Amino acid sequence: MAEKYDLQEREVWDGNFAASQALRQAQIDVVAAYPITPSTPIVENYGSYVANGYVDGEFVMVESEHAAMSGCVGASAAGGRVATATSSQGFALMAEVLYQASGMRLPIVLNVVNRALASPLNVRGDHADMYLGRDSGWIQLDAFNAQEAYDMALCAFRIGENHAVRLPVMVHQDGFITSHTAQNVYPLSDEVAYNFVGDFKPVDDMLDFSKPVTYGAQTEEDWHFEHKARQHKALMDSRPIIDEVFADFEKVSGRKYNRVESYDMEDAEVAIVALGTTVETARVAAKELRAEEGIKAGVVAIRCFRPFPFDLVRDSLENVKAVAVLDRSSPGGAMGAFFNEVSAALYTTPNRPLVTNFIYGLGGRDFSISEAKRIFKEQKAHADAGYITTDIQQFSGLRGPHLGFFKTKRG
Amino acid sequence: MQDLNLLANDNRGQHQLESGGNLAGWHEVTQGSILPSFEGDATNIAHMKAEERTYSNHNSYTATVASWRVKKPVFNIDVCIDCQNCWVWCPDSSILSRDKQMLGIDYDHCKGCEVCVEVCPTNPKSLLMFSEYTPLDEALSQWPEKKKKEEK
Amino acid sequence: MTEIRWHSRAGQGAVSGAKGLGDVVATTGKEVQAFALYGSAKRGAALRAYNRIDDEQIFNHAKFMNPDYVLVIDPALAYTDNIVENEADHTKYIITTHLSKEELIEGIPSLKGKEERVFVVDCVQISLDTIGRSVPNAPMLGAFVKISGMFELDYFLENMKRVLSKFPQKIIDGNMAAITRAYNEVK
Repeated sequence: MAEKYDLQEREVWDGNFAASQALRQAQIDVVAAYPITPSTPIVENYGSYVANGYVDGEFVMVESEHAAMSGCVGASAAGGRVATATSSQGFALMAEVLYQASGMRLPIVLNVVNRALASPLNVRGDHADMYLGRDSGWIQLDAFNAQEAYDMALCAFRIGENHAVRLPVMVHQDGFITSHTAQNVYPLSDEVAYNFVGDFKPVDDMLDFSKPVTYGAQTEEDWHFEHKARQHKALMDSRPIIDEVFADFEKVSGRKYNRVESYDMEDAEVAIVALGTTVETARVAAKELRAEEGIKAGVVAIRCFRPFPFDLVRDSLENVKAVAVLDRSSPGGAMGAFFNEVSAALYTTPNRPLVTNFIYGLGGRDFSISEAKRIFKEQKAHADAGYITTDIQQFSGLRGPHLGFFKTKRG
Repeated sequence: MQDLNLLANDNRGQHQLESGGNLAGWHEVTQGSILPSFEGDATNIAHMKAEERTYSNHNSYTATVASWRVKKPVFNIDVCIDCQNCWVWCPDSSILSRDKQMLGIDYDHCKGCEVCVEVCPTNPKSLLMFSEYTPLDEALSQWPEKKKKEEK
Repeated sequence: MTEIRWHSRAGQGAVSGAKGLGDVVATTGKEVQAFALYGSAKRGAALRAYNRIDDEQIFNHAKFMNPDYVLVIDPALAYTDNIVENEADHTKYIITTHLSKEELIEGIPSLKGKEERVFVVDCVQISLDTIGRSVPNAPMLGAFVKISGMFELDYFLENMKRVLSKFPQKIIDGNMAAITRAYNEVK
């Protein structure tokens, strides 16, 4: 039986520590990890919980992130509750095995502390790694602060392990801005947290000798398509279950989460759509702009990046006049991926708001309240003019001459 | 004694590998393409003989691949010394042997690779390749005589 | 909202100082934020750490701030780093130095005319005397408690003991002495 950990009602934790406490409270059986900045403390702390008897589990040290996720796949298929953490280059090296985990429907929880991808080398937060995972078949939850890094990690186990879901779940937090920023965190007691997550109930586990199973079958053109379709259906069908888990979490914590979060959107004329800590900074900007200049600004945030909440994004934005979609990832010769997804949803509304794309914050470049205000004001100018008055894609917070692409076609 | 069914209810090689129009739809395939090897509880399966096990349709045991073969090995029990060499070398577990007694060939899974013939040490060989269409008794009637040493 | 910027070198304890301060402030029921800007920095590299303190949950995640307090725990950084960056007209500076306030300001033109808002304390010497090595973060906390008036000294010491509880008693005692001495000596 695990040792009792001394927890206060109010802790000052950074996002990494918060996530590691969720792993302790969920009593993870196996963590296979190859630590990488800025996610290192998550698995490092889990290792110390194991060593000090706070959790009855195994820490498996491996030789690469590819091996780390492979170890997680093996342990999960064997029938254990499994989690790990990574960032950036480590995430990229895991990529091949991420598809194995989701294809085999293994409910592994991966804490992704978002960090830019080299080159040039950078340890700070942007969403390049998060975007790299967007077609991998995992559920992707996004935390905007340390409290949520803890809350989402607990919810992740409940969601992924639900037998109607059976999918791996990533919990994203912004590198350094969340992972290394200590803030007030109000943890659940060990008992409440564990009861919320529940005992792990394996299905099709390889160590069940009464029902031997084959994992990793080969399927060529006569079978592969059907299996991937079924997997996609499961991912889409996880939406109401995520809602249920969030509702149950509110009962034990008092904190309510939604797959799409809306702030000051009831009467909003202009909106910022964002991910991660930017959401909260933009909320401050919206509140201040309403008070200072009477601009009806609001913020829409994606809590659940995958499955992408196409309908909820549409519902939350269809009455707005101008929307700025903020992509914190180098777009690589296209519009921002997040912009494309939000735009596609809004294209199916009768009003079709004006949508522009901002590339910002790469490599951890600061995103300030004043920058958010500037973006809101540009949206207000589009709304007043009735068309997009700037380039559709712009870089924000960049040194040097203005960088932007594409103008609206006007008749 | 060739292509023998050891038990009446043995489901070895009972179906062709599926292809064409009758395959399951996306809503019917297993979750995660995870394939159970047996029907029902398999707790004591390790202690059971193959023909007693309840192999599922996902297990290759129940499928036949005989149609892939062009030439087949024929087994001559009169020459065999039960050395088990063919059993060890066969890449498809298609040599049927029980209590170290050679019984015959599993023609549902044998792909005709000829390894068993190659490794057979007897003189003449106890396993020889014949056309898929040659009846077994005809094949046995054509079995060569023992070769004399000086003919080497 | 109270905003604090620390100027330090990697290894001097600004990050721990900011987190320790946050820890103590949180026990008063306030919301806190403590973060730092460092990455692959080596020991000795200049870095900045930050605190935000408010009655409401803190949503601003920008590193940009107009600090209410600037805490400089390395004597040389007062000269080489831009410690007045983004200052407000009320920004208070607490600077570790062996010099008098007048001597210090003489060498740092950007502080001229701000004598009322500049405070000095020799955190390096205090930590050498009380803890036995140069860890100027703890004395700076003592000086901050005095200048900000945010806490009674005894209350702060009591809570700091809890934050440091994983350390040996000798370290805790040294830190308590350092905080107390800086509280009394800052001017």
